[in-house]
Amino acid sequence: MKLQQKLVLLTTLSKGLMAAILLLALPWVVQTLVMRHTDSALRTELRQVQARIAQVGIGEFLPQGPAMRRTHYDLLQDEFIDLQATTSQPFRDTIGTFPRRQHGAAVDFRVLRHSGYYQGQLYTFEIGKSIASVEDVYDLLRTSAGYALAFTVLTTLLIELGVIGHLLQPVDHIVERLRAVRGPQAPDFPPLRTTTSDFQYLDASIQQMLLKIQRVFEQERQFIANASHELLTPISILQNRFENMLRAENLPEEAEAQLVTSQKTLQRMTATLRTLLLISRVENNQFPRNETVDVREVLTDAVEELEDRIGHKQISLQWNLTGQPMLAPASRTLIFTLIINLLSNAIKYNRAGGEIEISGQPEAGEAYVLNIRNTGKPIAADNLPHLFERFRRFDPEAAEGEGLGLAVVRSIAQLHFVQITVTSEKGPGTTFSLRLPPLVLLPTP
Amino acid sequence: MNVLIVEDDRALARELGLFLYDEHYHCDYARTGREASEKLFVNEYDFVLLDLGLPDQDGLELLAQARRERNKDASIIILSARGSVDDRINGLNLGADDYLPKPYSLLELGSRMQAVTRRKHGVVEDKLAFGGFVLNLSDRSLKHGDTPIVVTRKEFDLLHYLLLHRAKVLTRLQLSEHIWGSTMTDSSDHDSNYIDVHVKNVRKKLAQADAENEWIETVRGIGYRLRPDNATPAPAPAPAPAA
Repeated sequence: MKLQQKLVLLTTLSKGLMAAILLLALPWVVQTLVMRHTDSALRTELRQVQARIAQVGIGEFLPQGPAMRRTHYDLLQDEFIDLQATTSQPFRDTIGTFPRRQHGAAVDFRVLRHSGYYQGQLYTFEIGKSIASVEDVYDLLRTSAGYALAFTVLTTLLIELGVIGHLLQPVDHIVERLRAVRGPQAPDFPPLRTTTSDFQYLDASIQQMLLKIQRVFEQERQFIANASHELLTPISILQNRFENMLRAENLPEEAEAQLVTSQKTLQRMTATLRTLLLISRVENNQFPRNETVDVREVLTDAVEELEDRIGHKQISLQWNLTGQPMLAPASRTLIFTLIINLLSNAIKYNRAGGEIEISGQPEAGEAYVLNIRNTGKPIAADNLPHLFERFRRFDPEAAEGEGLGLAVVRSIAQLHFVQITVTSEKGPGTTFSLRLPPLVLLPTP
Repeated sequence: MNVLIVEDDRALARELGLFLYDEHYHCDYARTGREASEKLFVNEYDFVLLDLGLPDQDGLELLAQARRERNKDASIIILSARGSVDDRINGLNLGADDYLPKPYSLLELGSRMQAVTRRKHGVVEDKLAFGGFVLNLSDRSLKHGDTPIVVTRKEFDLLHYLLLHRAKVLTRLQLSEHIWGSTMTDSSDHDSNYIDVHVKNVRKKLAQADAENEWIETVRGIGYRLRPDNATPAPAPAPAPAA
């Protein structure tokens, strides 16, 4: 998940949580506030009633006769004042919620009870307000609070989305830039435009790293050039000298034989050196990858190059290639080297009269899987992971070689983002599978 | 023919000179870019063998210069140990006639020089013959009289190379260098046994058409040669080495 999404999710969740808590706490808050308000209203009313009694006397409020009790309702009957003479003890003012019958239905009333002496007689007052009206207020409050909360959450969310997006934009820029790096020649980036110091720091660090990589690549390139020159020149001298010596007419046979042997040794050394330099150049990205390579055509070429060896070992070659495997951007020279190394191994380690199968099919997700299978002696499972290491050879009986072929294969495959896997079993034999990445269209020049 | 060898390594220049002298070329030497410029200004050469890694100048600059000024018609062959991928492309773009990475076989160099000369003089032989056999270079086929003989690409190359250097002994190494070049990365792929196998197959195929002669001779432990054509009626001559 992207950082931006995570941040937005976080703020959304925390806001949602706050809103939920508020909504849950709302009944209690409203209840408490409304009760307080009602209670103070009741007290005010009591004082007004007391003042009125003091003005006009208690008789005004009481009916004449023995009942000594009267209840006044207001017009809508959600308030009442009840006055009653009593013989019991006086008590302190209390406020409570009591049900009361009204038109046959029980309605909750908030009631203030008060006792007091008037003209030597103890009276109790009850002043009540219906809570039904309170509930109405509460409903209204809850609805409007809900809307207000939702509105607030949404508005702040939108603002935050915008702000977070804007703040995190440099991250996208940095990633874009890193992606654009396609080799040692890092493009020269202008400094990132941001006021966030973290991003400035990150950008500067990346620039520094790119420069460092560039320097290392440059040094390596220089080293390869020097090594090539310094090592290949003396080899050249020796090779040419041996060649000239062998041209002499009157050379003793024994000397001739020794020269041929020396020449062979030199040849081995040359091949090894060339291969090491090739690997270095591949890893140093010195091969331009700017072609679209038709893999089937390369395979055909490589097979033609090796037809004599295939024939000599009486190996039967089977083609089971479906579709049109293409690779781009790629270097045809290198892909040819990769294929010819795999095929040459498939011949070298095969048994006489064996079989080589070249098969392949496009896979879901646009990748193409190419398999080169040979019926050679199976490779021990322990050795499989080390197969592509330099100077590794596992079959002591096999033909001479430096064990660099597969190292070359690996470095070329890596350069082209080709995944390579090996399976080896008795029966079907050893299979090298190349997973070609989906074609990247080259810009037309 | 006049050859200018531009090479900073004395020993290497010497071996090259020895070989070319043997092949009847006249050699001149330059060890630096400056020296080469001077010689190119004063003399006319048929060939310039150019090392790219000169102490004072990039060989490619010298190449461009030679192409601009005097010696416009000289054939230039780049001999380089740098072996960078761009060098070859740049060199050929700048007008070099051929490119050989070091180390190369002298015989291969000689063959390339002959090929360049033939191209330059518009000699397009598309047929070479020996005994009763004819190699058709344009469609890469082999015939004996009217009977076609099926050969593989490598077998054809082998026979062609032997025929180009007819009567000379070619070592297995020279043959393998020519046939495989630097395609193979493992030295075992250069194994001279492969050459023996090729030779065996070619011999077998030749013998099917002409059982009386052994055309490809084994020369001790060194290599092979195509037998000179004494007994049989004179065929179209193999291209004379440029002298």
